[in-house]
Amino acid sequence: MSKKILYEAKNVSKRFTVGSRFSAKGRLTVNAVDNVSITIHEGETLGLVGESGCGKSTLGRCMTRLYEISEGHLVFDGTDISRLSMRALRPLRAKLQMVFQDPSASLNPRRRIRDLIAEPLRIHSKLNEAQITKRVAELLELVGLLPDHATRFQHEFSGGQRQRIGIARAIALNPKLIVLDEPVSALDVSVQAQIVNLLADLQEKLGLTYAFIAHDLSVVRQVSTRIAVMYLGSIVELGNAEDIFSNPAHPYTQALISAVPVPDINKAGSRKRIVLSGDVPSPINPPSGCHFHPRCPVAQERCKIERPSLLTHSNNRTVACHFPIDVRRD
Amino acid sequence: MLSVRDLRVSFCTEQGMVQAIDGVSFDVAEGEILGVVGESGSGKTVSLLAVMGLITDPNAVIEGSIKYQGRELVGLSAKDMRKLRGREIAMIFQDPMTALTPVYTIGWQIAEQIRAHEKISAKAAEQRAIDLLQEVNIPNPAEAIHLYPHQLSGGMRQRAVIAMALSCNPSLLVADEPTTALDVTVQAQILDLVRKLQKNYKSAVVFITHDMGVIAEIADRVMVMYAGRIAERGSKRELFSEPQHPYTQALLDSIPPLEGKRPHRLKSIPGAPPALLHRSTGCAFAPRCAKRFDACVNMPILTANGHDAACFKVNPI
Repeated sequence: MSKKILYEAKNVSKRFTVGSRFSAKGRLTVNAVDNVSITIHEGETLGLVGESGCGKSTLGRCMTRLYEISEGHLVFDGTDISRLSMRALRPLRAKLQMVFQDPSASLNPRRRIRDLIAEPLRIHSKLNEAQITKRVAELLELVGLLPDHATRFQHEFSGGQRQRIGIARAIALNPKLIVLDEPVSALDVSVQAQIVNLLADLQEKLGLTYAFIAHDLSVVRQVSTRIAVMYLGSIVELGNAEDIFSNPAHPYTQALISAVPVPDINKAGSRKRIVLSGDVPSPINPPSGCHFHPRCPVAQERCKIERPSLLTHSNNRTVACHFPIDVRRD
Repeated sequence: MLSVRDLRVSFCTEQGMVQAIDGVSFDVAEGEILGVVGESGSGKTVSLLAVMGLITDPNAVIEGSIKYQGRELVGLSAKDMRKLRGREIAMIFQDPMTALTPVYTIGWQIAEQIRAHEKISAKAAEQRAIDLLQEVNIPNPAEAIHLYPHQLSGGMRQRAVIAMALSCNPSLLVADEPTTALDVTVQAQILDLVRKLQKNYKSAVVFITHDMGVIAEIADRVMVMYAGRIAERGSKRELFSEPQHPYTQALLDSIPPLEGKRPHRLKSIPGAPPALLHRSTGCAFAPRCAKRFDACVNMPILTANGHDAACFKVNPI
């Protein structure tokens, strides 16, 4: 790819300890994110998908250093931010923003919308009050809210409007990269489409780069340039968004896509559904070999013993599987 | 089997009366799966809670008629309702953790439900619980009955709740967003299970969801709700191939496709669902509707010919 790499996560791991030495099983380690490497190019949207507990949100939080990573490196815009002190990180925070799933939980209920949006400006910029007021009005318009919304409180807004406020806060400082953690999951379908469109418009207008974390596959397909599929803390497949959906190489990706119910009765009968048995195993005690093998429809002896590594195949597709479906090795 | 006529549910709040359900009528025939779809606040859950007699809010006013196998349920005493609920009409909720008590094993909870409705020994009830868990594909059911809800995954908990709902072989099963809290791979398992059980037990199922995709997979007939009223209803085939109401059409259009070319922009519905506190006298969807015209200041009437829509475009005055 010719485009500049804006963000790079190299061999990032995040471990949590659960329990204490007094609990029945003692202290245990959860490998929430397990040796993950991703690159995000300028101007693109990288989609991160997976089921609950696969570590996609943890990875997002590690990327913005809301969590301290256990191992690895994070390089943002040429600077290694993985070990920077909070003070040194501060100027970079303006360029690296995050939007959360539940907008009402991320907005202070006792402050007016104009103060919520002005907060990042007051902290990071040297604008005076008049300039801040002007900028807040600009931002409200950008995200499709009315000027007189500025003096209201968050409870006066609907879910979709609250998410617009969250987005306005994130773009206030002209960031380069925004990590969007399930930004439309809490919204109704009709409103979800509005926010997806808004994010696409802003990306075009402001030249933003997104890391889009979601469990809804059809939304991720719509917004992403490339998609990384995660399972139990690791990336199992990475590639071009439309390609992954038309030609999944990892059996997990294939099953995941086939399980999505499609609102089209003509296709509902003809689509081949692969129903996986069982649940996602606990990341405390992941299965041996390939983590997916107990649920995999094509697993063989080798998968129980040897963990497949991420290999790049033709067409820029990276897959961690011993027996990938229908892709040629280069 | 179930016949709801002109159901109205309103709640007295400090700000005034909120009409959550405004004149909803529908029937459920034996052995069919009726899908109820709508956005949050559209009244899909409240209307079915009313059927179950589970609206206990003293500020709620329920009007209209709900007939179950010819028997009127509105105004039925709590005692009589309890005999019916669980035995004849069972319900599955969205969050299995709130439907299960954390302090008893799932086997105990299923057995309790059976013994509340049938004269049966504790031992026999336990055996029934094991059989039911087997039926909903829980591995090692004989051991699983000794597990507490926190020891199960979300999908397993939902299976236990389904087992409980089926324990008395109900003729009507109301499932309120049973797969919304689950991952897609587990959702696929649960949908398969509901379909299989519906065949085996020949129960009628009312399946509430906000996901058009789930409806397309599971329902026989579909009812689309908007702002406490029925916007459109019809067989699944009619509704998906020829949606009549602009809301149904817009709802289908706003879902990003899983295959084929990606649209540059999604077709979204402007605005947000209306607040029920200040209802307009006209069509509730009109302010967001791309096809609205002069007539929409009046309230459209739902047609009655099998595939119905409450829209002046379909049913001009």
